[in-house]
Amino acid sequence: MSDTIKLADLKKGEARCPGAPSTQDIIAADKVAAPGWVRSESYQFLGDEDISKDRYIDPAYAKKEITSLWAKTWQFACREEHIPSVGDYHVYDLGPYSFIITRVAENDIRAYYNACLHRGTKLRASGTEGNAEEFKCSFHGWTWNIDGTHKETLCPWDFPHVEFKKLTLPEAKVERLGGFVFINMDKDAPTLAEYLGPAAKSHIDAWKLENRYIYLHVSKRLPCNWKLAIDAFLEAYHVIETHPQVAPSNGDANTQYDVYGEHVNRFISPLGVVSPHLYGKISEQDVLNQFTLGDSSAMGDTKLSVKDGGTARAVMAEMFRGMFEKATNTDLSKVSDSELLDCFSYTVFPNIFLFPGISLPMIYRFRPDPRDHRKCIYEVLFMRPLPLDGNRPMPAEPIHLEDHQSFCEAEGMDPGFGAILDQDTDNLILQQEGLEASAKPGLTLGNYQEIRVRHFERAVDKYVKPNS
Amino acid sequence: MSTETSAASAQFERVLKLADLPAGSKKAVEINGKCVLVCNVNSKLFAISNICSHNEKPLERGRLGNGWIACPTHGARFDLATGAALNLPAKLPVATFEVRTTDEWIEVLV
Repeated sequence: MSDTIKLADLKKGEARCPGAPSTQDIIAADKVAAPGWVRSESYQFLGDEDISKDRYIDPAYAKKEITSLWAKTWQFACREEHIPSVGDYHVYDLGPYSFIITRVAENDIRAYYNACLHRGTKLRASGTEGNAEEFKCSFHGWTWNIDGTHKETLCPWDFPHVEFKKLTLPEAKVERLGGFVFINMDKDAPTLAEYLGPAAKSHIDAWKLENRYIYLHVSKRLPCNWKLAIDAFLEAYHVIETHPQVAPSNGDANTQYDVYGEHVNRFISPLGVVSPHLYGKISEQDVLNQFTLGDSSAMGDTKLSVKDGGTARAVMAEMFRGMFEKATNTDLSKVSDSELLDCFSYTVFPNIFLFPGISLPMIYRFRPDPRDHRKCIYEVLFMRPLPLDGNRPMPAEPIHLEDHQSFCEAEGMDPGFGAILDQDTDNLILQQEGLEASAKPGLTLGNYQEIRVRHFERAVDKYVKPNS
Repeated sequence: MSTETSAASAQFERVLKLADLPAGSKKAVEINGKCVLVCNVNSKLFAISNICSHNEKPLERGRLGNGWIACPTHGARFDLATGAALNLPAKLPVATFEVRTTDEWIEVLV
């Protein structure tokens, strides 16, 4: 019986890469077993119709998103490590919005709309941090306490019509999870736990990302709509064509894809195994040699080799644990091979990617450029486990790259990883321009490998309601 | 940016014992009539004018970050190494001073 006949018997979305082990098969063969959140699947077929392209190219659509999507969803504003002490604040900007994320007490974090209630001046400049005992406007000096209550107004005799006791700084909702501070402008929003759903939340809880710190933070404007940028990172389908240098050590076509509720999806892309596209063409030693790390500085100059009959994946797992422990002064003895090696990519709609693995330990954040729907702001943050001595290093300052710069120019960026991001960026400008030039009204998606794109864009539809 | 080291009369003055300025801390001192803030950040010492260039308020109660200090009054930040203003409402730099350690003492060139 041929593969063609077998595939025809399957329901939509059930087909998987023929002749390749599944991600779960690969992980099950590892020496140190993976935890439950890794050893599970949650794929769901969500339809196979094209998705409209207006969401990427229409400025009116982008304008609608600001009030209907961004003002209604939970979004990553900062890490708790950005505001460790009472009075510390971090300014988070989203489109036209700006918030002062402030630690008011040890366990009380607020998000104030960043505008003076007198004549609207921002109380703190965008993109800044600091510590305040009060928030004083630089224009006329109106002042608020850090708990948001009004403190002082110059010449109060001239404002008999203002009830200062009620003049508290308006707030967005705030929740904390895994060291991340999330905000939501919608007063009627569900809790963050409800928004994530129990399965996804249990995964995030298991990672204990609060025990990591920001080791490197790079920001760059990308030449495309924010959703195109996100979509590009939601699948490994593009690896063989866009990043051929990675394919020898990436199970791209047999990557696993899962969806959780309306706002979370993930893939597990096994590393240290050859791409099914290259079966029979390269050796296990080639796999080992091509392994790409997001944080290769932890590896030093170590060179590895595969013994006869061995696998690159097994060698990497054996060596990684010790080397990362030494380089980062952490205890990884209980961490599974899969967590050490594989690329776990989770998206929490709309603006954050979480990569809880060890070799690829990133956070991505995407935000629209409020001045241009064809541009977006991308940030990559590399996270490392806290040192064993318990001292939390200060989070890395963001490195802001110019539009023309390569990601490789950011000090501390792994050159191999920077090259991958450059390849993605080059595609994105072509895709933005191509969609605008295209005679075809929609985008066509694969049922399995592009399910995260469909899932993400369904969430976009839910909030933006394109036909309303 | 301005580093006040070129005056012919400038000389290093002992201001603090190194042990009195632990990592992550800062201390305001007056040296020859100048208000100077000495900072210890990420194992590096910096000496910077204690007066914000925006509104002339003291910086000493401001937050130290990775290479910057934020004025607590309106949030202007300054580069500790160069004195450059990093964000509004400040645009002008603040003075910086050469700093060194000798015999476990922190010395500032003023």
